[in-house]
Amino acid sequence: MSEKTRLNDSPAPPHRMLLARAALALYPPAWRARYGDEILALLEESGGGPRAVASLAWRAVPAWVWPPAHLYDRPARMRGSLATVLLAWSMLAGLGLVFAQLTQLQGYRPAGHPVVGWSYPVFDAGFALSALVGAAGGLPLWLLLLRRARREHRTRETAYLLLPVIAPVAFLVAVRVTVSLAGGPGGVSAGWFLAVTLFGFAAAAAAAAGPGLALRRLRPRGQGVRLAAIAAALAMGPMLLAVAASATATLGLYAWASDFAGHRDGVVVGGYLALVAAAATVATVSAARGARAALAGPRGG
Amino acid sequence: MSERLDRWADPPLLVLASLADEPKHGYAITRDVAETMGVRLSAGTLYAVISRLESRGLIEPLESEDRRRPYRITMAGAQALAQQSERMSQVARVARERLSIRYGWAPAGGPA
Repeated sequence: MSEKTRLNDSPAPPHRMLLARAALALYPPAWRARYGDEILALLEESGGGPRAVASLAWRAVPAWVWPPAHLYDRPARMRGSLATVLLAWSMLAGLGLVFAQLTQLQGYRPAGHPVVGWSYPVFDAGFALSALVGAAGGLPLWLLLLRRARREHRTRETAYLLLPVIAPVAFLVAVRVTVSLAGGPGGVSAGWFLAVTLFGFAAAAAAAAGPGLALRRLRPRGQGVRLAAIAAALAMGPMLLAVAASATATLGLYAWASDFAGHRDGVVVGGYLALVAAAATVATVSAARGARAALAGPRGG
Repeated sequence: MSERLDRWADPPLLVLASLADEPKHGYAITRDVAETMGVRLSAGTLYAVISRLESRGLIEPLESEDRRRPYRITMAGAQALAQQSERMSQVARVARERLSIRYGWAPAGGPA
């Protein structure tokens, strides 16, 4: 913010410029490319005290949330947002499925705590609705891109676009094989469960990255991109509800379910919640940026 | 104790006012705003404002041979600054009149 003081400038020491560069790294790449050098030149001349560096870091938030229109063309912003939302949403979905697998799919209900009990159906409904909305809005664009990639004989782009189908199928096959080979009466061992979970996250990342890469290479414009960007923003509403429900249940189990050992580990619970919060923040900010570009005036669409 | 109203100072207005006489780069703007208007803008605030003003077509960047790119006010920016200055003058006039009637206040150098 502004402050009423007299200027008493002296060149910034090297360590402070390192901090300034770190603060600048928090900005969107396009913003950094446009203003980064100028800001560093200004800080070098003016001295850039700790407050100036802190202010610079804090100002990165609005630069992400309200990106200046002149630095982006709208379709590029929508494509970028879609790719980011897909990736972050997939991570949220993976974390949510791990939560579901470790709790409700094992039939666990801590007695006397309806908050935790209610969290499960809220999570299920939010998750399913979010997936439906996202799929409905993204399917037309996906089909459009797939047809175009095939028409233009772009094998690599076709493969990228098919990853959302191939990766989950590969994961399900891997689960089936693991259970048949390594499963016992009580399911698979913790080691196998961890291996399958990690493979699941890799599959989710591949399924999300595929369309993102195709968007980057095929550079679609028009109504399909707009619809997908708006759907991605709408899908984040129920997803955030599901995230809140899973966080509530996780905290509830941590506080009340003393006989449920997995949820009494503060490091695991804290790590899980931190990952969920990070993915939810990235997805929400990106979805908002994409929706703002989609709903802006007709220029550049 | 007097209440300071520095936070009411509108950074976009300060930057437009600074650029009203001649093009300036970031450091020159912060110096000018501090020396003539008594408000120091941090680098983060300044470039958030520059980016917003540029986005709205109220200022434009000029070519530069080094990293210190100068900016100049556009016609739209000058009009926006003129309109806002007019409104501020009106507010200041009303405030002075009412302070004078209610408290007998007079600006420094004026009649009591």
